[in-house]
Amino acid sequence: MAASVARVGRPLLGVAVFLAALAVWEAWARSKGSILVPPASSVVETAWEVWPTTDFLTGVGASLRRLAAGFAIGAGVGIGLGLVMGSSTRARRALEPLVEFCRAMPAIAIVPAAIVLLGLGDAMQITVIAFGLCFPVLVNTLAGVRAVSPEVRDTAAMLQVGALERIFRIYLPGALPSIVAGLRVAVSLGLVAVVISEFVGEGEGLGRYIRLQQTEFDVPAMYCGILFLGLLGYVLNRLFLVGERRVLSWHYGSVGEGVGR
Amino acid sequence: MSRLAEAMEREQPAPRAAAPVLRVSDLSKRYSADGPPALSGVTFDVGEGELLAVVGPSGCGKTTLLRLLCGLIPPSAGAVLFDGEPVQRPPREFALVFQDYSRSLFPWLNVSRNVMFPLRGAGLARAERIARAEAVLAEVGLHGVARSYPWKLSGGMQQRVAIARALVSRPELLLLDEPFASIDALTRAELQDLLLRIHSGVEHRRVTIVHVTHDIDEAVYLADRVLVLGAAPGRVIGSIEVGIARPRTQTTTRSSPQFLAVRNQIHDVIAAKEATR
Amino acid sequence: MLRRVNLAGWSFVLLVTVLVEAGVRLFDLHDSVAAPSATFRALAEGLSSGALPGELGTTLEAYGEGLALAVACGVALGIAIGSSRTLLDATSVVIEFLRPIPAVALIPLAILFLGLDTPMRRVVVAFGAVWPILVNTSYGVRGVDRFLHDVARTSGVTPIGRLVRVTLPAALPSIATGIRVGASLGLLICVTAEFVTGTGGIGAYMHQQQNAFQIPELYAAVVLIGMLGYLINTGLRATESRVVFWVGEERLADR
Repeated sequence: MAASVARVGRPLLGVAVFLAALAVWEAWARSKGSILVPPASSVVETAWEVWPTTDFLTGVGASLRRLAAGFAIGAGVGIGLGLVMGSSTRARRALEPLVEFCRAMPAIAIVPAAIVLLGLGDAMQITVIAFGLCFPVLVNTLAGVRAVSPEVRDTAAMLQVGALERIFRIYLPGALPSIVAGLRVAVSLGLVAVVISEFVGEGEGLGRYIRLQQTEFDVPAMYCGILFLGLLGYVLNRLFLVGERRVLSWHYGSVGEGVGR
Repeated sequence: MSRLAEAMEREQPAPRAAAPVLRVSDLSKRYSADGPPALSGVTFDVGEGELLAVVGPSGCGKTTLLRLLCGLIPPSAGAVLFDGEPVQRPPREFALVFQDYSRSLFPWLNVSRNVMFPLRGAGLARAERIARAEAVLAEVGLHGVARSYPWKLSGGMQQRVAIARALVSRPELLLLDEPFASIDALTRAELQDLLLRIHSGVEHRRVTIVHVTHDIDEAVYLADRVLVLGAAPGRVIGSIEVGIARPRTQTTTRSSPQFLAVRNQIHDVIAAKEATR
Repeated sequence: MLRRVNLAGWSFVLLVTVLVEAGVRLFDLHDSVAAPSATFRALAEGLSSGALPGELGTTLEAYGEGLALAVACGVALGIAIGSSRTLLDATSVVIEFLRPIPAVALIPLAILFLGLDTPMRRVVVAFGAVWPILVNTSYGVRGVDRFLHDVARTSGVTPIGRLVRVTLPAALPSIATGIRVGASLGLLICVTAEFVTGTGGIGAYMHQQQNAFQIPELYAAVVLIGMLGYLINTGLRATESRVVFWVGEERLADR
């Protein structure tokens, strides 16, 4: 009995604290009347008005489109290179210094060069997004391949598995849990890259919207843009976890729940 | 005469009638250029259809020997010959069963797919492959687990799946690396008897087996001959014929005077080696 | 920490450099891509003239302060939250709400609050970097083997003593990972803020060079930022493996 009370009670406590925090914010904002801290209610009101508009939603759609394109390219390159480096010691040693350097490079650093080469449009933005999320995926793929057990490797050798077949039928599925964890991180990083590229680039988007509100000094609108972004990030993460659970049901069973956050 | 020499004098290997299927001559393995050798000058034969057990204390290089036999690692000196040809990469006709079954079965495939895996590229239709897998699973005493994933099964069942996967392609030589070491005692007895059934070729032709174990009783129970390795460096210190009639049972065989005699002999050989070190 | 020089790797880097150099010269790409030789020259000039070190110093000021703030808050809160189930439950929703907000998206808001300079950058860096540190610390503290706790309790150690001598060391690997993630995120945020506001630091310098079409100087700044990121990451890993010396190499991989 106590256990089930606790189970229901726990998330309720979290929600209660959250609502309490909102109430405190509301009271403080109303009493202070600062233009930079609008009360929660006015943010919600603005959100209610702005979020369903076509302008806003088109912007969101554009951001998501670029994220998807950048994700596809970045993840593809990351997984591909990760598999190659994981299966061949020679390839790994050859690419290692370059990868280590690029991996530590913040995505913003390639923006000006990308602008000079590709302009301010979608091409530049997608490139920046792809670069931003490629390396975590690569690193996780590589780690996943190297974590494949020696017994599996020996079995593959005994079962006459050739080099190419080994990559696709042994390393890829074996590294999948690690790859998927990397992809999940990549989604969050991708969102960051979306915002960065939209700050400097042209064309519609959520990041651009937020930047615009700063110049327009429309503070509630800025808040609701940021809020939407946070919500988007949360929802994408949750969707990813659900998909992960389904694809990796075999893995969760064998090692138990709670694989990484 | 030393106890060791006495022990070796008592049991001489009978002359092999047919050519040995596996011939190991002067095999040595050193993992680093200036380190101690893991194995040194190992020489023995394995006859066709023979069940050879390999025993020895930890660190005597039993696993290294097995990996050399399979062609998974190259020797530093000497050679392994299979049907007269030197083994340089794992031969198609070999199958290997590991001690750690949970790490050798592919976790992303269910039992049926795991067992079917060696049959890919054999030009068989999918239905045929599934049927063969089911048949082999039945041979090893597993029913109704085809759709399950390995982690759902108990240790003993997982090891049976691993054995099934090893048998599905009808190997000529089956090698096992301490396969029952991580299994509870009761299941271990069942699996030992399973291995005996496989060896006797009840279902199909006889398979040659090399069985590495640290359990001397198990070795004597299972084998036609027991190869004893000494430690640091690993080398052959005894080759003892078991000579107990088949079929063997857990109860009668293990309490027979012949069993005890052979088992004690092996203990003597090992003890004598320890004494002379 | 001496490691055998990766000949294959550095040869490959050399090969790529030579190919890029040749490509830029042959196809006359000087307007858009800087040849490695020109980049190197610009880098040397920038460093010796003091321009680059100056900007770097500005960046490091805001970055370092912001990161220190994030580490202090993140670790302290993380320990508190990780040690108390009640606190964990109470803060879970608020954290899940704030965490997904990309810190870079807060830059425009922070500009309105704090202006365009170092104070703004410091705060945004801190906000961005605190989350991985907090979450990983909490995770690390929660994950400490109950067995270790029991051992400590039965050997008569006080709760505070337990915290310092058992929980903290056991949670260190997770904390270290969190700090490393937070550090690289913080650098990204800082340079982005500088780039967007143009008021100082290596990010602003980079933007200036881009606008002025000074391509070699631009690439020199890019290389410098990359090197900074690399040094921070390598430095942290080295400290990690020294402080958390009991953990094997695989454990320190990216989470």
